[in-house]
Parts: sequence; C-alpha cells; structure tokens
Amino acid sequence: MSATRQPRSVAFRKEREGQWFELDRLTDKALRQGLKSLDAAELHRLPVLYRACIASLSVARRTAMDQTLIAYLEALAGRAYLAVYGSRRSTRGALRRALFEEFPRRVRALGGELALSTGLLTLGAVVAWTLMNLEPGWYDAFVNPALAGGRDPYASTETLRSALYDGADHGEALGVFASFLFVHNARIGLMCFALGFAAGIPTAILLFTNGLMLGAFLHLYHSRGLLFELVGWLLPHGVPEIGAVILCGAAGLHIGRAMLLPGRRKVRDSLARAGRHSAIVVAGAVVLFAIAGLVEGIFRQAVTDDTARYALAGFNLLWFFAWLFVAGRAGARRGVEARGVEARGVELRGAGVRDA
Amino acid sequence: MRDEVELSIVGPEGVPLRFPAATIGERAMALGLDLLILFLALLSVGIGLVAMGAFTGLVSFLGLALIAAFLIQHGYFIFFETHWQGATPGKRLLKIKVISRDGGGLRTDAIIARNLMRDVELFLPLAIVGAPEQVFGDAPWWMLLPTILWLLAMMLLPFFAKERTRVGDLVGGTLVVRIPHAELVRDEAARTSLVPDAPDTRDALAFTLAQLEHYGERELEALADLMRKHEQGKASAEDLRVVARTIAQKIGFGGPLPTSEPARFLRTFYKQQRAHLERKLLFGRRKSSKFDG
Repeated sequence: MSATRQPRSVAFRKEREGQWFELDRLTDKALRQGLKSLDAAELHRLPVLYRACIASLSVARRTAMDQTLIAYLEALAGRAYLAVYGSRRSTRGALRRALFEEFPRRVRALGGELALSTGLLTLGAVVAWTLMNLEPGWYDAFVNPALAGGRDPYASTETLRSALYDGADHGEALGVFASFLFVHNARIGLMCFALGFAAGIPTAILLFTNGLMLGAFLHLYHSRGLLFELVGWLLPHGVPEIGAVILCGAAGLHIGRAMLLPGRRKVRDSLARAGRHSAIVVAGAVVLFAIAGLVEGIFRQAVTDDTARYALAGFNLLWFFAWLFVAGRAGARRGVEARGVEARGVELRGAGVRDA
Repeated sequence: MRDEVELSIVGPEGVPLRFPAATIGERAMALGLDLLILFLALLSVGIGLVAMGAFTGLVSFLGLALIAAFLIQHGYFIFFETHWQGATPGKRLLKIKVISRDGGGLRTDAIIARNLMRDVELFLPLAIVGAPEQVFGDAPWWMLLPTILWLLAMMLLPFFAKERTRVGDLVGGTLVVRIPHAELVRDEAARTSLVPDAPDTRDALAFTLAQLEHYGERELEALADLMRKHEQGKASAEDLRVVARTIAQKIGFGGPLPTSEPARFLRTFYKQQRAHLERKLLFGRRKSSKFDG
C-alpha cells in the first residue's frame, strides 16, 4: 500500500461535513429561538442529523488522528444534544395527565412514607392530648399564640364557640385571610420537601409539632364539650389541608430515606430519583392547599350549620380519596405499555445507525 | 477558581457526550440577574395590585397580591426552565443550561425538584441574615448551631462538589453546563470545502514505512498545531525549518527539501504520518507517542 494516500479521516470528514454544517445551522436556530422556530421539515431533519453526528463522533474518537476534528464533533454533538433533549415540549393534556394520573400514582407509590408521615402527625396529636389531660397548661407550649388568635384555655366557652361560627359578615376580608393561609401553608409544605435533605429529620419534627398543635386544639374544645362542633368546623378544609401536609411530609421523608437507605443504588442516583418522584407529589399538594384555602375562605364561615358542614366534609373526603387512591390506575397500565413500545423503538433505531 | 471541569453524560444513543461545567462565577451571575428580574417583577405586580386595591377600595386585591407573589417567587425558575429548554433569562444571557445527569431529556419533575430546594439553599439563609429572630424565635443554641452549620454546608456545596452541583442539582439529578462552542478549523492534511485554495499536497514526495514508524499521535498533534500557528503568523518560517530539520534527521530523510521548503516537507510528512497512524489504528494498534512501542 502506498503511503501517499490521503488519511482516512480526510475522506471521512469530506463526506460528512455538509451534514455537520446543516446540523450546526439548525442547532443554532433552535438554541437561539427555541424548537418552535423550526419548520416541519427542519424538525424532522434535526434528530436524523443529530444521530448521524453522534455516529460520526464515535467513529472519529476511535479512528481519527485529528484532534481538532474530534473537538469540533464533541462540541457540535453537545450543542445538538441540548437542542434535541433540552426539555420536552408540552403536549396536549399534559397538565391533566400530571394532575390526575402522575400525581395520584406517585402518591400511592409512597406507601411507607405516607404511613410514617400520618403516624408522626397522629403521634403529635396523641402526645398533646395526653399531656393536656394531665395539665391543661401544656397548651401554651404547643400552640403558637399568633395562630391561636385568642382561642386558648383562658378564653370563655362562649368565645371559643363564637370562633367557630362567627365571621360570615366579614365578607371580603375572608378572601384575603384565605389567600394568606394558602400562601402560609404552601410555604410550609414546600419547606417540608426541601428539609427532607437533612435526612428527613426536620420534616419529622415539623410533622410532629403540627400534630401537637392539632391535638392541643382538639383537647381544648373537648374539655368544653365542643369537640363535635370543632370537628365540623375543621374537617371541610382540613381534609385537603391536613392531607396536603401529610403528602409534603411523606415527600420529605422519602428524600431522607433515599439518602439514609439508598439500597443497591448510589446515594446520588437514589437521591435524584426520590427528589423527582417527590417533586410531583409536592406540586400536587400545593393544589390541595389552594383548594383548602378556597374552602376555608369561602365556605367555612358562610356555612354555619353543623349538618351542612359535616356533609361538606364527607363530600371532600370522597373526592380526596377518589383522587389519590383511585384516579390514574387505568393510565398506569397504559403508561407501562407505552414505555415498552418506546424502549423497543430505541433499540431498533440503535441497531439502524451505521457509520463508516 | 479551579480550572475547567468537564462533565460527561451518556445520551440516549449510548455515546458519552462531554460538556464544560458552568463555573461558579457564571452561575452566580446568572442567579444575580434572575433575582433582580424576580425582584422587579414582584415589585411591579405588588405595587400594581395594591394600587388597584386602593383605587377600587376592594380588599381582595391584597389577597391576590399575596398569591401572585407566591406564584412568581416559586414559579419563575420552574416556568423558564421548562419553557426555555433548561435556561432562565439569567442563564440564557450567560449561555449556560440545565441538563439531566442521566442523559435523558430534562423533565419537569427534575426542574421542580431542583428549584424547590432554593427555599432552604437560598431564601432561608437570606431570611436568617435579614431577620434571625423571625426564623428561629427563641430556639436554644443546641438547635441553632447544627441548623446554621447545615445551611452553611449546603450553600458551600458547589465549591467542593466534583461536578459543581448545588443541593438542588443533587435532588433533581441535574447538571449545569456551558453551551459548547463548535468551530471546525481546516484540516491540515487536506484541501477541504472550507479552504478551496489550500496548497496542493498531491506530489511525488513519499516517505517509506520505516520513516513513518518514529512518531505517534502526540507528536502528530504538535505538528498540526505548529502548522496552524504558522498560517496565523504566530510561528515563523525559521521555526518550521528547525522542526523540519529535526524530523528529517530523526527519520533519516536526506536531501535539501527540509531546509529549502520546510512548509511543503512538513505538510506532506504530516499527511502521510497521519494516514499511516490511522491505518495502524484500524488494525487495533494505537501509537500514542514516540515512546510507545
């Protein structure tokens, strides 16, 4: 063989340069103005060119001696990857699927954490109740006076009762109060998630102290013979609100567990998996907080009849459990099938790529 | 600041891709810009709604302002990172982007997760610096101390993490990279479509196989660099002559050509040396430098 022939990488580059430049142009456009700026033909062309570029890159890495060529292909492939896989464009019905299929499915997958979260909240309530049975003065230790608004052991029974039924005439101010409560609760819920990163310990403490507050309230009204009325007042908005607190707690505990007990995965991978899983749960919980805020601001003080309140509570329990524990089961099966098809598709495409 | 950190992910095609990690400076600047925009948005929406409330006498606008502030503060990063392909306005200006560490597409759940962590990474420490008594109340020192240490460790994580990840990146499974800059320079061994007037290298000058056995990839790359520098005027003809003579001596190439026409000698040698090394590589023998067997 004569030594004067062109290096193979020269021919390799000559054959493919045109495609690379075309990919470069499309990538540039997509990165600058978004995928939306590409027309149908270009959108079709982009992944084809991208895969050809990936194939060129892996061939060049193995056989080419021209470092500038390899560096160029590395950069081009990276840019094209960002354009192609940057983020998924939203499809029709994505929000509906996220809320009614993805969210409940992920909640159900958190079985153990949900139980633990509920348990911690209940434990707090039981502890507060027991201690207050011994000494009612414990109330001050459990309930933040700013949130109690005068509802404490030193108030008369009449004051406590009126706190449950008055306020219908405040009208508009209630809306502001509801917004305030929504924002306040949602912030605490998001915090529950983020604090899961400290091995879940602050999340557990937060759940427990919220339970203490709840137990203290229940005991206070129980001691005045107003428990039935309090529960009627509490449940309509309490179902979505306490439910959302439990969900956020479970999400935080899930992250904590992923750090402490990563199982066979690396801690990094386990953490990222748990974080993504919990993120959707928390996002759904924020929606629940918003619903609770609406119920609290609009219905609670306007509906003062105990029977109506219990009816509303029952209705809320019904949709709450239907949403979290029934919705999306059919979608789950469809999703599995769709993923199977996708995986096979990737395999086929992989087998189809040939280069040099 | 440390040198470039290179991040490697495996794309869905199964081929590793490399990206330069965004530096802490770039990320800090992007964050600063985003916080500025966020602050201005909060300010204008807040003033607008409160003014409307005062004008119409409706208290409800105050509630609306509260909700709007919450949505803007928590939605800003999530909205832009999902709609602008992993970049907020600040990131876009600095040409950096969020990608998924597992190499798949950047999904919404990863974006939500990484941005919810800002609460404890950024807003909580800011609140503590601003009004510590509001956050801690009258908590005892043995609770304060670990909390502050923990928050500090979280804030400083990007300085120590191998991939410059912040806590949000860990929880979301994401990386922040600089968009690579791709420019194809001309091939020193060929006339290409980029440079139609490259010197003709089809000539009678031929090296024997024995003469091509001396050098490896590293020397080849150094030679390509030298020729590139010469074209840019950063290396003189005398530099070429010295290198050409050294090579000629080493490989036992006689004649006046290395001294009289060093550029042509080097270009031809480069081309044939590369063809030779690439041919050997096809048979699975890689010669990375002249010390390689």
